[in-house]
Amino acid sequence: MTSKTVKCPKCKNEITVAGKPGEKIQIICPKCGSKGKFTFPQENSKSKTITDSFTIEVNNLTKSYNNFKALNDVSFNVKSGEIFGFLGPNGAGKTTTIKSILGLIHTNSGEIKINGFDIKKKGKEVKKYIGYLPEKIAFYDNLTALQNLYFYAEMKNVPKEECKPLIEEMGIGDEFNKKVGKFSKGMQQRLGMARALLGNPPILILDEPSGGLDPRGVALIRNKIKEMKDKGSTVFVSSHILAEVQEVCDRVGIIDKGVIVAEDSVSKLSVKLNLKPKLIIELEKISDKIIESVKKVEGVEKVEAIGVILHITCHQKAKSKIIISVEKAGGEIVNIRTKEPSLEDVFMRFTER
Amino acid sequence: MDLKAIFSIAKKEFIDNFRNKWIIILSIIFAILVVIISYFGSQGFGQGWSSLEDTISSLEGIVTLIIPIISLMLGYAAIVGEIEKGSMSSLLAMPVNRYEIITGKFFGLGSVICSTILIGFGISGIIIAINVPSSDYMPYLSFIGISILLGLTFLSVSMFFSTLFKKRSAAMGGAIFLWVFFAIIWQIILVGLLLATIMSGDITENASIPGWFFPFLLANPLMTFSAASFPDAPSIYWRILSPILWIIVPLLLTFLRFEKKDI
Repeated sequence: MTSKTVKCPKCKNEITVAGKPGEKIQIICPKCGSKGKFTFPQENSKSKTITDSFTIEVNNLTKSYNNFKALNDVSFNVKSGEIFGFLGPNGAGKTTTIKSILGLIHTNSGEIKINGFDIKKKGKEVKKYIGYLPEKIAFYDNLTALQNLYFYAEMKNVPKEECKPLIEEMGIGDEFNKKVGKFSKGMQQRLGMARALLGNPPILILDEPSGGLDPRGVALIRNKIKEMKDKGSTVFVSSHILAEVQEVCDRVGIIDKGVIVAEDSVSKLSVKLNLKPKLIIELEKISDKIIESVKKVEGVEKVEAIGVILHITCHQKAKSKIIISVEKAGGEIVNIRTKEPSLEDVFMRFTER
Repeated sequence: MDLKAIFSIAKKEFIDNFRNKWIIILSIIFAILVVIISYFGSQGFGQGWSSLEDTISSLEGIVTLIIPIISLMLGYAAIVGEIEKGSMSSLLAMPVNRYEIITGKFFGLGSVICSTILIGFGISGIIIAINVPSSDYMPYLSFIGISILLGLTFLSVSMFFSTLFKKRSAAMGGAIFLWVFFAIIWQIILVGLLLATIMSGDITENASIPGWFFPFLLANPLMTFSAASFPDAPSIYWRILSPILWIIVPLLLTFLRFEKKDI
């Protein structure tokens, strides 16, 4: 007899069950009443069940359109419960990868597994647990916001009662009965996020979630992403807004020309690339003498002067020596700050042309 | 097969398309024309209600003109329109199979066509019943049935076109061509073939209709009505076989085509 703790996919309530290896039992969540089946894993077996925490595994994915290889042997993993940022220049293959994960396009080769289940074989089953926000948001224009969400709730077998609160949470609560055809791009984006959140999915796939949103909308989406992570969801987010990605993501994957060029946390990628922090010194007045004296300091790699501000790329240890040299050269310091290597720096280096 | 998902898609298609202004306009035109024809037909233009067949044959013209157009308008954008707009990605990201989407759409759009036909002919049926209470309604009811089959035929074919083309405009062009082909070109070919047969001396004035004539005629779903007016016309079973095949075969091709399509 073994015991195992499983999470209810709907309310995230943790339930402890007991049984023999290989035994299949039915579970009813005591909190929300949802029914589900659970199979105890065989000893030394790698078999997984749909109620376990979710991961995305992409292995050797290839997709060609005529002679153009959109994806070339793409492999990466998204760990359970993490926020994974998926980045790349325009046309790099981000949306193609996302569509492959969802089974919207047929790949030439490779394998995609969601929590161990092959998306090609168990696609319908697995999609019950995925919330998706596409890059190109679209709804049924002749239906109201609420009617649209009711339709998707029916498709996902989610109670209709979830729809109204979700619309309210996304800040478009006054527009329940307005036809979606009359919605602005930003309102549709908010409604799209509400659709993705239906049923509190264990996996959230967001393709450019901030598109068309005002700063309040961007902040709302960012907070929702964090909230979903706190609830235990795995979030896969593709975005062009690197600052946003850096703020919320645990790890990132960078794709360029259909090839994964990096996959790790931003800090680890910075170390791998040997990226240095930047010392930014604002001066009362700038002179060639000051610039030259800074350049001579040991550990300084690059000095850029923009107006009265010096941007100095240097080793950590060189910072105090730089400040002394500026003062010695007659510079009057107004402000000093340090900028750690950003995701933008990492992105630029990995996607250099 | 997930019947609940199919029903949800069908319901959504019905509500969404019943609010489409072009479908509303065409349905109103259809209903008005049907009512006008049945009113004057049942008045008999001064000859009394001598012929229900005459009224039905007048209605045939309206049915073969407007019902295929409504069907084509509903069907041509059913798949490609959603793909182009982007809503198909969201739909396919739901736990639903592709064949369930097609089935749901066919039933949803089909119910729009059935409703249009039943509303139009329902009103006209009431008018006929008021003017000619003792009439035999079987020909009228079978006419309604064949009209529905005709509508579903063009829906099925236009849905296939919707999976065949990458652009909504191309699918619309294909649908228009299809209607022109069946309504005009087919008849020209038919007349040409008949003339050629006569010229070659294969048939004489007293001879019966050549063997190829009815199969060729019935291969065109729009000819299902007119086939009945020929002497030695095939039975109703043969006449409804054509639209049924025209519904099933394109629908199967739609399933196959959509299954392989990248969205």
